[in-house]
Amino acid sequence: MKRGAALGLRHLAYIAIAFVFVLPLWWAIVSSLRPNSEVFADLFPFTPKALIPVPFSLEAYSGILDQGFGLIIANTLLVAVVTVIAGIVVNGAAGFAFALFDFKGKGLVLAFVIVSFMLPFEAIALPLYSVTLQLGWVDNIAALIVPSVANGLAVFLFYQFFRQVPSDYLEAAQIDGATWFDILWRIYVPLSIPTCISAGLLLFVFQWEAFLWPLLAMPSQQFKVIQVGMAAFQQQYQTFWNQLFAVAVVTALIPIVLLLPLQRYYVQGLSSAGIKG
Amino acid sequence: MTTRRTPVFFAVLCLAPALLGLVVFRLYPIALAVSDSLFNVVRGDTIFVGIGNYLALAADTTFWKSLQVTLWFNLLMNPIQIALALGLALLYVQKFRGITLYRVLFLIPIGVSLPTAVIIWRIMLTPDGLVNGLLNVAGLPAQPWLTSEGLALYSIIAIATWKGISYWMIFIVGGLQNISPEIYDAARIDGARAWQRLVYITVPLLRPTLLFVLVADVSINFLLFAPIFMLTQGGPADSTNVLMYEAYKSGFIFGDMGRAMAIIVVLVLLLLLIVGLQFRLLSRRTEAAS
Amino acid sequence: MMKMIWKTAAMAGLAAGLLATSALAADKTLNMIVIEGGDTTAMQAVADSYEAAHPGIKIKLQSYPFAQFFQVAELRLRSKDKGIDLVYVDAPLVASYASRGFLSKIDQGIDTSTLVQASVDAGKYDGTQYALPINNSAQVLFYNKALFKAAGITPPDGLTAGQSASQKQVDELASSKRWTWEQIADAARKLTVKDNGRTTQYGFSVEQFAELYQLQPFGESLGTDVIAPDGVTAEGYLDSPAWTKAATYWSNLYNEWGVSPKGLGYGEAAQLFTTGKLAMFVGGTWNLPILSATSVDYGVAPYPYFAGGKVLTPTGSWYVGVNAASADQQDAFDFAKYLTTSDEGTRVWFKALNQLPVYKPLLDEISTSPAFDTFPQDVFRLGVYDSLNTAKARPVTAAYGQLQDAFRTAFTDISNGVPVADALKSAVQKFEAAAKRVAQ
Repeated sequence: MKRGAALGLRHLAYIAIAFVFVLPLWWAIVSSLRPNSEVFADLFPFTPKALIPVPFSLEAYSGILDQGFGLIIANTLLVAVVTVIAGIVVNGAAGFAFALFDFKGKGLVLAFVIVSFMLPFEAIALPLYSVTLQLGWVDNIAALIVPSVANGLAVFLFYQFFRQVPSDYLEAAQIDGATWFDILWRIYVPLSIPTCISAGLLLFVFQWEAFLWPLLAMPSQQFKVIQVGMAAFQQQYQTFWNQLFAVAVVTALIPIVLLLPLQRYYVQGLSSAGIKG
Repeated sequence: MTTRRTPVFFAVLCLAPALLGLVVFRLYPIALAVSDSLFNVVRGDTIFVGIGNYLALAADTTFWKSLQVTLWFNLLMNPIQIALALGLALLYVQKFRGITLYRVLFLIPIGVSLPTAVIIWRIMLTPDGLVNGLLNVAGLPAQPWLTSEGLALYSIIAIATWKGISYWMIFIVGGLQNISPEIYDAARIDGARAWQRLVYITVPLLRPTLLFVLVADVSINFLLFAPIFMLTQGGPADSTNVLMYEAYKSGFIFGDMGRAMAIIVVLVLLLLLIVGLQFRLLSRRTEAAS
Repeated sequence: MMKMIWKTAAMAGLAAGLLATSALAADKTLNMIVIEGGDTTAMQAVADSYEAAHPGIKIKLQSYPFAQFFQVAELRLRSKDKGIDLVYVDAPLVASYASRGFLSKIDQGIDTSTLVQASVDAGKYDGTQYALPINNSAQVLFYNKALFKAAGITPPDGLTAGQSASQKQVDELASSKRWTWEQIADAARKLTVKDNGRTTQYGFSVEQFAELYQLQPFGESLGTDVIAPDGVTAEGYLDSPAWTKAATYWSNLYNEWGVSPKGLGYGEAAQLFTTGKLAMFVGGTWNLPILSATSVDYGVAPYPYFAGGKVLTPTGSWYVGVNAASADQQDAFDFAKYLTTSDEGTRVWFKALNQLPVYKPLLDEISTSPAFDTFPQDVFRLGVYDSLNTAKARPVTAAYGQLQDAFRTAFTDISNGVPVADALKSAVQKFEAAAKRVAQ
């Protein structure tokens, strides 16, 4: 009896929290399933009818397909995935070196790494654009990827992780005469999978939300990414609300679908953080 | 650890790509930008003014008011976000039937980009919108969420928190992996209660992760202005006018890059000071614990 | 691993590079930055017709979303980017761009005598022409006939479906049957429906909430400009009795009477109007195709004024300028000339975008051609009347961004209940402090 009540209570708590997360997206889903002229129909003032897609229409989804949103999503995935893979390698290696090796001026270099993620993008946009012009990368996909690979936050994340790996592992390997590359690849990389996923998420979300930079760096707009494509729905004289929400729904689901299979690396060997029992 | 000899070639190989990228694409551009704070553009002529723009800020009441708003905004938002993200992470790692569904739902805000989240929340928070509609159903009076001096800042904190905590939760969930289950088992045998295990085991052992989340979250939130730009434009009566928005307006709307960069330099220095303090406090205790 | 990634990135980059260069096949390419959406479609139509008449020249449009256009244009112009030849310029930004050397002086050889003089003048800074007007804008009052009928009130005299109007009749309507803001307030209060403390139908709204463009005639029609002719002084102007009266009216709309919805975003007034939740709004003629595509039965009346005040209406729209850093000034000027002063260019533009022209022969055609006799085409005749008689351009100042921002902040705050005097005083102080920094 008591157990049943506790179980019910637990589900109630989870449902309440999930409700807060879901409600805005639910409303976006409903709006994306209405014709554009009906998006606001039951909203001002609010009636519960605003939460059901009536009148129902798939015009928004066929509309975004017609506008080539499939390609736009593929473009963004390409940029994001290349950034994530290159970024994990580059920033992971740097975090490893910072954590394990001592050298003169290390504190200062680390401080610069940390400063590098405290800079508002708006402040560096103009000089960064000039650098890109000099490199001849304007309208080249390299301009979207290369500047985003090295990421101070990701270096810091790896540094924080590698620092707390017990040194016993390292000493044992050194006694066995392993090379540094072996030590990194065989011992530290397998331990760092959850951190790699976190860093990957960080880099992925950065590209998934990138907006001002793709606008600047790709002026011919022949290679569009999601945020740039979405901005087109809010025009000077009118907004295509239902299509805007349709893209919002689709783009919200993709990161979740990508994260879910990775969950097993997170939840294995995890004893509920000691809360249970 | 410090006695080990550094393999110079390998260390350079590891560090070079990241450092090169950061120097070329972050530090060199910011150095160029910072020099803008020493100039003014008056009627098309660029004039060297030295620290003139900084002195002008010191005498600028809008700047000081905006600084206050920025500090209060961050003082509230960062602890709230980190506490909620930690709580959410603890819920996320529980194991029971049906948890997978909840986990999926907890991840939703990650994929919704900030501008989209803001658009959705703006419509939900209008005076006759969905949130007031729900309040009405519950028999509560409607609230002026984004249009009153007293509530606007808190509404923005709520929106940013909705968007942010799932993201930070993932880092904390990752950090929880590094705590070995045996420690909890031992504590359980010693008769430690759930809350004691949280306070004396989970939080101390999570410190490196929490330091990362704290530093990253504070850095991002100090520079956050998109929701303010889209929702309140600093109002009502300057109650949401954070420094980064003030800098954005100066630089991009007023064509006054000198003032904009001076504000940003002050903002980044302030941020460095705060992050430096966090390092002091959290790193020292980590070493003591380990 | 690393190598492979770089290879992939390089290959992808190469592909994008090839795409970009293939457009260079024509002899000369002119790049133009323009706003995404209808403006780009219309500009493409003009570009196509220009290219047909000028082989060897290709116009390439780089379109940016409306919300980011100004920021991106600012960044790229400031970096002296040679990748832009022609710039799409919003009227009030001409001074800001010109003062900072972003735009070339307009070629003397371009004859502007066929354009509405007030619009030509708004493209000048310090007496020199820097930009040419592409089109004008006209603001009108839209009203929902069914909601008026349901409330038992007589709607304003206006143009409506099933009727036709000659230019003479429209002139008569605009000069003697224009509603006052007082009449609007009366009707709006009767048209507002509240249910259980919540508003289910609003009486009136403006389309561009708290924007200077939309509200400038409010105070100016009562006799005081929004700022002094020097472009940096607002004291005695924005906080004058005239503006205080106008701002009090604005405050009443939202607070005292509660007839207007707070904080509408772009396009939301039209959305509320078509769903029958809003009885009247003032907005641009660009709403006509949007409204006509729905089933709402509406009429169009002239932009109101204050009783006893002067009739003034919002005006001004988009201009074209030549980037000072462009390597191909002569060709760029030639396209600008075609776009703004040629029979063909202006006609293609008007046909594609349906914005009020500044090219006088086209205005004459609107007045006289039978194609504009019927609704909603006759609304353009209202635009013709206003642009020739009541249009009031926005102030010319290098600190326009500062003015617009201070104004918007003040009028948003006022709608949210901040006392009128406080809000206007704070706007004056903020504008003057910011303006002095760029234009001493």
